Amino acid sequence: MKKIRTHAPRKIGLAAWSKQFDKIAEETIRKYKYYNNDEWGIYFSPPATFMVYGLRELKRLKFDNSLEALRMWGFVFNETERLFRAKQINKKLIATMGDLGTVPVLVMAFPDCIPFYPECLWWTPFFKESTELLDTASKLGIPEATCFSRAVAAAFYKKAYFPRPDLIIASTGASCDDYSCVMQVVENMGYEIFWVETPCRKSPDFFLSRPKPQILEKSSAGLVYSKILEEYLIKEYQRIWQVLFKLTGVNNPHRLTETIKKVNTLRRMVMEIKKLNAEAEVAPLPALELMTIEFGNLYGYADFDEWVEIVAALHQLVQKRVEKGLGVLPKDALPIAWVTPSADPFLLNLVEDLGCRVVATEYVINQSLVPIEENIEPLRALARSFINASLIGTTEERVKNIKEKITQRQIKGVLITNMLGASHCAMETRLIERLLGDVPVLAIDIPAPFGITQQIRTRIEAFVETLR
Amino acid sequence: MELIGYTCSYIPLEILSATGLKPYRLLHGEISLSQKGETQVRIDACPLIKSNLGFLLENKNRFACIIGATGCDMSRRMVEVVKTFTDIPVYIFNNPRTDNFEIYSNEVDGLVNELEQFFHRRLDKSIIEKECEKWEKIRQHLISIDAHRRTHPSALSTTTFHKIVKGYHQGKFEEIAKGVPEEISYKPRIYLLGSPISYESGPLLELIEQRLRICGDFNCGLSRGIYIRVTEKSVTGLKKAYFNQPPCIFKRPNKRYYEWVEKDIKATKSTGIIAFVLDYCDNFDFEIPQMERCLPLPILRLKSDFSFQNISQIKIRIDAFIDVLASLRGGVV
Repeated sequence: MKKIRTHAPRKIGLAAWSKQFDKIAEETIRKYKYYNNDEWGIYFSPPATFMVYGLRELKRLKFDNSLEALRMWGFVFNETERLFRAKQINKKLIATMGDLGTVPVLVMAFPDCIPFYPECLWWTPFFKESTELLDTASKLGIPEATCFSRAVAAAFYKKAYFPRPDLIIASTGASCDDYSCVMQVVENMGYEIFWVETPCRKSPDFFLSRPKPQILEKSSAGLVYSKILEEYLIKEYQRIWQVLFKLTGVNNPHRLTETIKKVNTLRRMVMEIKKLNAEAEVAPLPALELMTIEFGNLYGYADFDEWVEIVAALHQLVQKRVEKGLGVLPKDALPIAWVTPSADPFLLNLVEDLGCRVVATEYVINQSLVPIEENIEPLRALARSFINASLIGTTEERVKNIKEKITQRQIKGVLITNMLGASHCAMETRLIERLLGDVPVLAIDIPAPFGITQQIRTRIEAFVETLR
Repeated sequence: MELIGYTCSYIPLEILSATGLKPYRLLHGEISLSQKGETQVRIDACPLIKSNLGFLLENKNRFACIIGATGCDMSRRMVEVVKTFTDIPVYIFNNPRTDNFEIYSNEVDGLVNELEQFFHRRLDKSIIEKECEKWEKIRQHLISIDAHRRTHPSALSTTTFHKIVKGYHQGKFEEIAKGVPEEISYKPRIYLLGSPISYESGPLLELIEQRLRICGDFNCGLSRGIYIRVTEKSVTGLKKAYFNQPPCIFKRPNKRYYEWVEKDIKATKSTGIIAFVLDYCDNFDFEIPQMERCLPLPILRLKSDFSFQNISQIKIRIDAFIDVLASLRGGVV
């Protein structure tokens, strides 16, 4: 058996990864598999494999050099194959859209049901350095000045990025319009959609008079909301339960309780990784890996069990690095917060290369980061966790945690990444700038794939200079 | 303070009016107001939202409060911006985007309760009944005026109708009470739909009507809203009537919107459709291909930001559209 050499933590490119991969023992490669299948479930490959398959941006990206990170990338990039495999082995594919993190918990409580988020395809044009999906979206009549999640409509149209889902559950309501419109376009193509209402989280600021304390409740993240919102969500989740029952013929609430426990294991680990990363003297993981880990909370990249194992390994890695004081960025990297996920992963690399370190994030997925209560009725617990959602409340609530970190001097600046024409970006950016005005704030629009220009670099450089 | 501002046709006017204030629908669309609004939001926010913000910043002392709704995302978020940059008290009405009457019903009850507390005024049965009668009378009158637009030949221009209906949206009834001029037209009949028509959109309507006659529409700011029929003069009656109003395109699914429009297009005997879409108004912009697929008439899409910088282009496109209509009807439109 070949011995795996431990390398000092650093960020490496594709070629270096391929060299390192050569030294990994066959047993190690065969050890990890999706859907626990020995025959075709092996996913451990160097990123170069996926570059050859078409993810051209990988040749520009830098990755953490740990075996754990390599395993993660192999798994994440393998998702399309995994979804088609799932269909081949008669699993039911459930597209969950719009809610970002809660509906998949319900879906996973049903046997052989695999939830996935078509919206995560918004990264595909950037990883592929191709405007193909975006151009198709334009041909479908979707305006160019909208969120890159429009790529999803093109993917449904092309039928090549994931198999036809057995069920599409789409959440709409007090959320971003771009995505609600994308989902409507998908329905207009002939896909049947099960629509779910996500009402607004009305904080006391949006009452004319002081609301009576008995109508209010506080969420696990400390957000005040009208109790009635909880009841609305429970009823919506009951509807989802019924439709899944109809699809599978199974009605076992105990499975939901078990699923919640599993989901919580992941959520706690991810929160711990985020905390360790923010508090360590040297950044133990790069921002790109951290973002990928954070988004895994949504649905475990279509194999939740394996994803929990991957994150557990990464968690251990981070713990070890922190204990040893090791990391991937210089000690003097400037701590910043990142608001709204970047559609172009390259930016995360770039910002680090220019001297920053991401120690806090608001990627519009707060709802998927909070633990779900385990000692109450499961649907109520799900409703209570969703109430922390980033987009159903105010901007002030959205950036509350970042504001606190600024006050505690843990953050020196804030970077906001926008999509031109995206409804919440257009309305929120100025407010965020105002709310977080105690530190420098840089708001940049994400350009089309392969479109990061010298001008953007210069703006980030100037931002870094301001922070220093 | 004389006004109670609101943003959505699903908010019952009768309840707002029962406070003793004038309900004022925020429907501004003027470039200088838009530029003022742009000081608080990004340039790529909807021009209507920016304009309304500009108007509120200039007129904050006239508003007792603003009742916003979860209609479109930008409209909902506008309320937070208003709260941050002015002292106007704000309230959010949770208007469900799906067919969820329970949420709607609870929200109407919540609104009544909130207004009662804020204005220290009991909105009892008799007040609501009186308001229902008043507004129903106005709507019936407006429907009878609208009938002049819809006749064949059309006897009233939408340019004039727009001036009249403004009174309904602004809580001023002087214009509504005036007589209706006779403006018979044999121009090609078209149907207007799309983003809201703002108070300052008169020149756009005039431009269209120089060559065409708009004889029906599905736009906030025009006839959308006047076809709400309140038969039961109570809060319960208001809930039913407002929930079942001509369905908004923002609803999911929005199938009923298409059914309604298709029916109305037939009723108005329109020969073409103009879809007026504001910049960054996703809900309409995304739907144009579906409109082209579902609706039985040729469609002209006009896009604007209220600046009228593209007025010449709009003019040429309208002319070209008339040619298209003519070609489809053997040269006769």
